[in-house]
Amino acid sequence: MNILKKSAYAGTLESSDAYIHVSPIQENEIKLILESSVEEIYGEAIEELVVQTLKEMKINNILVKVQDKGALDFVIKARLQAAILRACESNEPVWEELS
Amino acid sequence: MKLRRSMLFVPGSNTSMVCNAFIYKPDTVMFDLEDSVALSEKDSARLMVFHALQHFVYKNVETAVRVNPLDSPYGLLDLEAVVRAGTDIVRLPKTDTVEDVLNMQDAIEKIEEKIGRTKKTQLLAAIESAEGVVNAVNIARCSDRLMGIALGAEDFVRDLHTQRTKQGSELMAARSQILLAARAAKIHAFDSVFSDVKDKEGFLAEVKYVKGLGFDGKSLVNPNQISVLHDAYAPSQTDVDWSLEVIEAAKEAEEKGLGVVSLDGRMVDAPIIARAKWTLELAVASGMIRE
Amino acid sequence: MNSSISFSQFDNTSKIRVKKVEAFLNSVELELSPDIEVFVSAKEKSKMIACGGLSGNVLKCIAVSPEKRGEGFVLSVMTELLNAANDRGRKELFIYSTPKNIAFFEECGFQLIEECDSKIILMENSKNLKKYKNNLSRLKKDGNVIGSIVMNANPFTLGHRYLVEEAAKKSDHLHIFVVREDASDFSFKDRINLIQKGLADIENITIHEGSDYIISKATFPTYFIKDKCSINELHAKLDLSIFRNQIAPSLNITHRFVGTEPYCTVTNNYNQNMKKVLGESNPKSNNIEVIEIERKEYKDKAISASSVRALLKDKKYDELSNIVPPTTFDFLVKRI
Repeated sequence: MNILKKSAYAGTLESSDAYIHVSPIQENEIKLILESSVEEIYGEAIEELVVQTLKEMKINNILVKVQDKGALDFVIKARLQAAILRACESNEPVWEELS
Repeated sequence: MKLRRSMLFVPGSNTSMVCNAFIYKPDTVMFDLEDSVALSEKDSARLMVFHALQHFVYKNVETAVRVNPLDSPYGLLDLEAVVRAGTDIVRLPKTDTVEDVLNMQDAIEKIEEKIGRTKKTQLLAAIESAEGVVNAVNIARCSDRLMGIALGAEDFVRDLHTQRTKQGSELMAARSQILLAARAAKIHAFDSVFSDVKDKEGFLAEVKYVKGLGFDGKSLVNPNQISVLHDAYAPSQTDVDWSLEVIEAAKEAEEKGLGVVSLDGRMVDAPIIARAKWTLELAVASGMIRE
Repeated sequence: MNSSISFSQFDNTSKIRVKKVEAFLNSVELELSPDIEVFVSAKEKSKMIACGGLSGNVLKCIAVSPEKRGEGFVLSVMTELLNAANDRGRKELFIYSTPKNIAFFEECGFQLIEECDSKIILMENSKNLKKYKNNLSRLKKDGNVIGSIVMNANPFTLGHRYLVEEAAKKSDHLHIFVVREDASDFSFKDRINLIQKGLADIENITIHEGSDYIISKATFPTYFIKDKCSINELHAKLDLSIFRNQIAPSLNITHRFVGTEPYCTVTNNYNQNMKKVLGESNPKSNNIEVIEIERKEYKDKAISASSVRALLKDKKYDELSNIVPPTTFDFLVKRI
């Protein structure tokens, strides 16, 4: 179980990347704010990806802000996981949760 | 023998390079988690490379990862990530001794065992110090995982109390030693990067020089250097024609059950045939002939 | 490849590095903003090639050397700045800039709040303006004359009280916005508290806490405005345009009331701009009628917050009681 201890971010605003900010929230829910140049086409796919990634990491109280700069799926996933591990102050990733 | 002319350095923190490096068709893509990644980005770059290695665009290209040294806080974490993600090769930075290679080998074995990886992760040792050059012969022979050794010139010249020049005389001893060690151990030898990406002539001259010395290939920092390098490594038409004849003769001899292959009245032995195969592979890769 | 470029972050006590930032800014014809707390800079081969700063929740002094522009490199600079802001828990950021940079800052996740005179823009990277407008519209009141006043009230005087009384008489409902900044002598909390107490008996008013969308002069940047004479005018126009186009429509505001300004030319100019920006018709939004109300006087002198502060300083408490309401007087005396 990963517990977010603080807000954290990962990624960049550069093209093909994503800048992701996460923070813990009180309510037991996943809040997602998505800003993307391709939001209309890929918005739902990104949302699914975020929810799936959070599920794998067993996180269910989080605010995620994604600024997508046309990133591939695996980039968004990598940045989200990095932000979460930073927020959990976790130095030893559980690789099975990060597939 | 696989062609390994070009090994393209891709900083693990440079997302667009990580996503696009395969497009340039280097023989090997080498993701870097070490010197090109800022300390604050080590964790994020590691995850990026972890996922990139598993992405389908990297399924058909050889991948290597330069991990951080095992005695740094990042080394083992890097190693676990990339061995899990299925990298073909781990590039071991700053290899000074046989122990450095064996320690890395042990660490990889433990991880492979833990996760049940059957395909053995190969090792490429980067030699970047006087001590490493002196030990090159033993390093090259110390592990069956070792597919090659490479010169890391930037750190090496610092260790030698000098700097790099265009003529490269400061690297002469190291290049010779590394090449001899690799050839004696029957593994690959790779030359260092040429970092002034704007100096195309200088780059081409260096490529021709190290090819002449016998190096299999070179690490590259910029995708634009790939085609220049591949062109320089392309065999001459005469070599290709001759190699085709050699292979034809070898086939013929085999079909006829002859123990000895001869061409133009001279005996052709196994190393010559191997060399001809390699030339033809180069020719295919350079688009001179079809497979 | 950017591996030869290194970034660093430092605060405004790092004198040597701040000096270098200043020299770099000057080389690209910008100035150093004195209120910056945190700087980022990028170097290539020990030469500075970019910088940026953070002041409160405003990003300032973002500059890239000419030869590095147009390479996407400035996105790395913005990433470093966002990291610096996030490290300090500042997520809702603003940028003042010139209109030619709108598209670029949009790429960095910012949205335009207002563009003014083709000279200055204000952008934010949260969607707070929309939220703010939604919240405001819940406080909407019906009527033909919906008045408004923006005040700092540093502190609340009988002059402020008189302005509100007169405006409330002329309005079906009156909205009062209290400027939110702590650069004043009295804190925002104290100021709004005194306003609420001093106006408790007037029924047709709503007192709003100011927001980031009512721009205080203190946070308004000047480093990229070449013509220094136009700074006050640009500030006034930007602030008033936001009021007209973003705030007023949410509450159906039809009128804005303001006291006449006999002393201060800056404030007087602000009032003149107000008539222009709010009063003139344009297709973007309904115009707002500006009504100047003659300032309340005591002994032939207009009452002002600055005279209250002067009397306080001189400990002339008897005179003070003549120009502030009892609620403010009590507070001031207790504070002594």
